Amino acid sequence: MTDETKKRLEDKIIGTIKEYTGKKRFKPIDIVKEMEKEFSGDGLSKAEIKGTLKEIMDGGKLVYGYAGGSYLAIPEEGN
Amino acid sequence: MGKKHETPLLDELKKGKWVSFVREIERAAEKSERTEDLLGQVEQSYRDKVTHWKHGGMAGVKGYGAGMVGRFTEFPDKYPGVKECHSMRINQVSGFFYNSDVLRKIAGIAEKHGGGLLNLHGSTGDIQILGLRQDEAEEAFQAYAELGFDLGGGGSDLRTPSCCLGQARCEFANYDTLKICYDLTQAYQDEMHRPLFNYKFKFKFSGCANDCVASASRSDMAFIGTWKDSIKINQDEVKNYVKKLNVQKYVIDKCPTKCMWFEEDNLVIDDPNCVKCMHCINEMPKALRPGDEKGASILLGAKAPLVTGPRMGMMFIPFYDVLEDSKNNYEWLKQLISNIWDFWDEYGVTRERIGELMQRVGVVTFLEGIGLEPIPEMVDHPRSNPFIKFEDEEEND
Amino acid sequence: MPEEAKNKRLTDIGPHDFHDYLPPVIKKNYGKWAYHEILDAGSMVHVAESGDKLYTVRVGSPRLVSGSFVRDLCDLADKYCSGYLRFTTRNNVEFLLEDEKNIEPLKQDIAKLGLAAGGIGNVVANIVHTQGWVHCHTSASDASGVVKSVMDDLYEYFVEEKLPAKVRIAFACCLNMCGSVASSDIAILGTHRKPPRINQERLLNLCEIPSTIAACPTNSIRPDTQDGKQTLRINEETCVFCGSCYTVCPAMPIADPATDGLSIWVGGKVSNARTKPTFSKLVIPFIPNDPPRWPKVVEAVKTILDAYKEGAESGERVVEWIERIGWPRFFKITGFKFTKYHVDDFRLAETTMNYSSHTRL
Repeated sequence: MTDETKKRLEDKIIGTIKEYTGKKRFKPIDIVKEMEKEFSGDGLSKAEIKGTLKEIMDGGKLVYGYAGGSYLAIPEEGN
Repeated sequence: MGKKHETPLLDELKKGKWVSFVREIERAAEKSERTEDLLGQVEQSYRDKVTHWKHGGMAGVKGYGAGMVGRFTEFPDKYPGVKECHSMRINQVSGFFYNSDVLRKIAGIAEKHGGGLLNLHGSTGDIQILGLRQDEAEEAFQAYAELGFDLGGGGSDLRTPSCCLGQARCEFANYDTLKICYDLTQAYQDEMHRPLFNYKFKFKFSGCANDCVASASRSDMAFIGTWKDSIKINQDEVKNYVKKLNVQKYVIDKCPTKCMWFEEDNLVIDDPNCVKCMHCINEMPKALRPGDEKGASILLGAKAPLVTGPRMGMMFIPFYDVLEDSKNNYEWLKQLISNIWDFWDEYGVTRERIGELMQRVGVVTFLEGIGLEPIPEMVDHPRSNPFIKFEDEEEND
Repeated sequence: MPEEAKNKRLTDIGPHDFHDYLPPVIKKNYGKWAYHEILDAGSMVHVAESGDKLYTVRVGSPRLVSGSFVRDLCDLADKYCSGYLRFTTRNNVEFLLEDEKNIEPLKQDIAKLGLAAGGIGNVVANIVHTQGWVHCHTSASDASGVVKSVMDDLYEYFVEEKLPAKVRIAFACCLNMCGSVASSDIAILGTHRKPPRINQERLLNLCEIPSTIAACPTNSIRPDTQDGKQTLRINEETCVFCGSCYTVCPAMPIADPATDGLSIWVGGKVSNARTKPTFSKLVIPFIPNDPPRWPKVVEAVKTILDAYKEGAESGERVVEWIERIGWPRFFKITGFKFTKYHVDDFRLAETTMNYSSHTRL
């Protein structure tokens, strides 16, 4: 994966979660599947997408929410 | 200093011979002031007959989506000490073995950064530290990490694996439960801390069919110790048991497959017909022991009631050679686990456990999906209804 | 925390290696134990092939404990067993002794702390339980208080072997069943009896509509509109009050102090010994919450235990006894009323009916 593709992937993941906040809760595997479709032209593997998602989580740009099951969320202000 | 809250109802639970949790909460409050408000809130629940914990709100440490459970009071003004009362799950030691030095340190951190209360242990197996605020979570996490302890699972992830004490103290153990539990927990750290599943997934390891960690009723993947060859008989010890126990009535007659009997004074076992239930060995541990070719059966799909009903684990792998595979870094097992998780990723829906997925898509579809052949050990008996979905290729056979 | 430590943030280190906490006698005889003998309800000995012996003293704990409690245990472990101790899956503490002579003095010190040695053999084992009102938002009852009340009453059965076989009691404060309640000899289960209430204001903020609908095992939640706004409607005819939707959607509270309480189940078993594992079965559909000491629950458990002690043969678990005498007789002996709630009408219900002419008249 090129740095450029990775940046686009990161932006798309975070952008999708932002866009759907309050409408749909993406669990991590949902977003991985979405990105697989979205980036099919770039030939990204599931493992690469999962790896990028992990970096986003470790960096705190997204956080895990929980309501019966886990989902991805934008961090609340102040945390 | 007097009590902050009067607790006449809880005081009733300090009476009686059994050790009182109320006394424990009070002792925690002596070290950790915030816990006085926990007493106040629980007393109010006893008056109102309803929980006063609010639903919703998150707690956690950076990068992890598991290991902490957020808990907030409904009455932050009245009980400010439990405005945030989160719990932190600390992955227990395999078999729950500790020494006094490390337990004192674990308790010390719970008092410094939490409400001074612990669950030893939570239902899944973690040490739980109660009463943390979000702003002290990171420090508590790192204090435990420096002690060599990480957080446990939570949310839609691999929950903290647990095991019976196995070969550490039990002569019944057919494989090293402590080691495989530790090894797999280490191997799947990512799956435990970063929830990527449809719902929770549990591994539990029991050394024999007595199943002391209740793996078959509550873990998606249950490992139950068994053996392939013959039960080892010490005939002299059998004779000693005969002197003090009605062996015919309490041992032989209770064998589920009637695979044992006396020939003269000697006990004879038809081992190919033994289902390794452990009854005779439980009753006469000095006389009978499991064989030498030991390993584990793997049962899949057990779960608690939510969402679509409770399920027991179903036999999938009658014999797994744990020791041999462990020499290979569990290559065979990890492939099976990966097949199961991939199939679940692909076809499972939110909050669907493996057992529910099997029920929804059908066991045969599941077997094909994870690359296992159907074998008679999987069923109680073959189907008895004729609604068979034949496939085209069968006609050419 | 100092700045340099922050830079070396530790993650993914996993659990501590168990080898560090095994006493020397266990390290030496690991995987080489020959047999064990129960000395009394509070102690047992494991004998290794080498002839080495390990004595275990088991002590009941309330599971929810203070740091001071932990230090009390540690002091005893230091005094009698070089600091080595462990916990069991049923929340007991076990001291691991090499010297048999330490058993009695240790037991005396245990008693001085107000604790009880017991839980081994044909006893009422320590009750595994959940958080209840102490720490849970979905509970239909408290957990620790009910358990304390039951164990006070059954104390003699924990400290002494007086039963035909072991009796495992478990408690869960709602259908989530964080605990192995579903396959216990006697199970006490927190039970809601009214449908959830929908908080329209909070619903759209806090909940995702599709996943809330999907949470229902009986398809009783449907999308709806109210004053032009999206909402949910509950089919109260088909709702089974499980609370699964509340787990997913905080705006659908289900707890109701007027109608919540407990149900009692018996005859579950997870061990494969003799008979296959089986779930617990309903015997009392509902007992109202009656804090602080839940006398009707205590009485019900005692009734079951007394009938079992009286009727079971040596070695029979509760379910084996009941299956030998038949469920009609169990209800007759205990005096519990058999009602329409005892006949399963949930998924796969028909498997529980009697397809035979076998009946005890």
